[in-house]
Amino acid sequence: MTVSDTRPAAPADAVPPESPGESAGVPQEAAEPATAPPAEEISPGGPVLATVAGAVPVLLGLVTLWLAHGLGLGTLTEPGPGLWPTIVAVLLLVSGVALVLRARGTTDTEAFTRGTGVVLVGAASLALYAFLFELVGFEIPTVLVLVLWLRFFGREGWRTTALVSVLTTAALYGLFITALGVPLPHLIVI
Amino acid sequence: MDLTPVLSGFAVVFEPQNLLYCLLGVTLGMLVGVLPGLGPAATIAILLPVTYGIEPAAAVILLAGIFYGAQYGGTITSVLLRLPGEASTVVSALDGYQMARKGRAGSALGIAAIGSFIGGTASIILLTLIAPLVADFALQFGPAEYTLLALIGIFMVATLGSGSLVKSVAAAGVGLLLATVGLDPMVGIPRFTFGSDQLADGIDFVIVAMGLFGVGEILYNLEHRLRPQPAVLSFGRAIPTRPEWLRSRLAVLRGSVVGFVLGVLPGGGATMSSLVAYAVEKRAAKDPSRFGKGAIEGVAGPESANNAAATSSFIPLLTLGVPANATMAVLFGALLLQGIPPGPQLITEHPDVFWGVVNSMYVGNIFLLLLSIPLIGVFVRLLRVRAGILAPLTVLITMVGVYSIRNNVFDMFLVVALGLVGYGMKKLGFEPGPFVLAFVLGELLESSFRRSMRLFEGDFTGFVQRPVSAALVALLVLTVVVVPALRAVRGRQAAQVEHQVTTPTSDGGLAVAANRTEE
Repeated sequence: MTVSDTRPAAPADAVPPESPGESAGVPQEAAEPATAPPAEEISPGGPVLATVAGAVPVLLGLVTLWLAHGLGLGTLTEPGPGLWPTIVAVLLLVSGVALVLRARGTTDTEAFTRGTGVVLVGAASLALYAFLFELVGFEIPTVLVLVLWLRFFGREGWRTTALVSVLTTAALYGLFITALGVPLPHLIVI
Repeated sequence: MDLTPVLSGFAVVFEPQNLLYCLLGVTLGMLVGVLPGLGPAATIAILLPVTYGIEPAAAVILLAGIFYGAQYGGTITSVLLRLPGEASTVVSALDGYQMARKGRAGSALGIAAIGSFIGGTASIILLTLIAPLVADFALQFGPAEYTLLALIGIFMVATLGSGSLVKSVAAAGVGLLLATVGLDPMVGIPRFTFGSDQLADGIDFVIVAMGLFGVGEILYNLEHRLRPQPAVLSFGRAIPTRPEWLRSRLAVLRGSVVGFVLGVLPGGGATMSSLVAYAVEKRAAKDPSRFGKGAIEGVAGPESANNAAATSSFIPLLTLGVPANATMAVLFGALLLQGIPPGPQLITEHPDVFWGVVNSMYVGNIFLLLLSIPLIGVFVRLLRVRAGILAPLTVLITMVGVYSIRNNVFDMFLVVALGLVGYGMKKLGFEPGPFVLAFVLGELLESSFRRSMRLFEGDFTGFVQRPVSAALVALLVLTVVVVPALRAVRGRQAAQVEHQVTTPTSDGGLAVAANRTEE
């Protein structure tokens, strides 16, 4: 990361709108990049991402339309199970198409970064957690997830990692099994 | 009005365990307000399974405390770091941070706490007077009225949120769609279950809220996990001086009124009311140029407003069963989980819960005043807690909590999947708020729509033939026309607030729009 300034963006003692792009009359999108403070590494996504944002509702709408048709629409007097999903699908289609059409001027998406990989690994670790949960009890997966997130995602030292992992597992045991009486699958019996 | 249930509500509040839950709730609220990352909606969602075993009144007292407590806590980071802990404290960063740079952080925090207390308390009193009337009126609502109420609720949340209008509508559509998974509410045919028994009962709201708000937010923060720790400005005692108080007392009053009114509206809530209150203060001031440079009214007004709004946004939930914003949607889920369907009958059928929760807010606000004036140093020290440690803790509480609802591993996979959906939505610019709200209201909307259509024998004009529903249709049309018009005005402005505050969630549209007319 190449951030030298540790303070949150330059203080705005000066009169706020300075750049000409920020004056009224100019579309908000044009002024948007100037608003991104230097300390944040969030960058807007391009037209491709904006198109994807519209394509997802369209796809969902089409699939729903097809599935809802199979459920039976019924009539307005006696609506069938498929009528409501059809209405919702139309809503999705209309809004999705509108988003695709306006994709070029859209700046409210965020580009995927290298951090996205971390997010996917994080989600995968949680899925694995769920998978191991009933097989080997909650203690071992809990410690594993904590070590991964603390040591590798959070860059904590080994001592902090070990301490927090053990304490958290104990606290979860105390809260859910001892205090709330939830039958979590567990190895250690107290 | 009959005061007996109100007074017995106090008896509920003063049970020692409920006092304790109230204190716990507001302290947690302060915490999540101070710590950037998790908002009150996420925190409440994560804690839902934990509160399952607690008595209904106590559980809602706890969860409500988190919501309004977060309004106090968010101010601390706004003033000291110019990084608002909550969206509703974004505008406080404008003048609050400037005050802090001039060594007046204590005054800013002090007036924010006092303003929040006054705004919150005034709002509870008004709620006490108004809520029973609304509930009484709503008892005569039929399916047509509920169809329209749900529509208005979803539409207003979609339009008044900070994201793009079309995206909010699309997000609401996905929420409505997800709500149809499971058995058809009228004829019992499975829909969109793909043959899975696990999906036949539909998707539990708690899992949707925990996935989208909880896991989704945690995953999102994971991507940008190594932000630099900002320097915290120091301050003495969190108390305003006498001249400062005299200068801001009217701002507190105006903020309270603005907050109460806007909080009741669907989609209004704390964030918008704080923005409007800022605009009101700027307009009321003799010398508006002081704003943005450390004007204490610019902190007092919005802070009073966001807390007043946080309180009054309970009215639609507790009297109509229609949540006004995303956090209320999660509380809706909490009530359902407790077996108490929110709606007009709540106040008469569960007076202990209704008045217990409402009256607990008086006590909660007193706790918060104590926490944010004498004990503020403790919370400021928490600003040094590293996000790298917090994230795994919250994610594991979420995972174990999800399992504990039904002792079902499938739910854990579902919550991770929904977490990824939430992450993807944020990346693509969709707000999770409209999604969750639409999911909550989806079944109510569908079944009342279908019932109305049967009632009206397929004739849409039936909606305008009943007086109340006709009025609601008018309101719906009004919002469909007026709100996009307002947005068009603000689209043309370079949102002033967004330029000055370092947060992507800020939403200065209405405030700026209101300023503009005076210039």
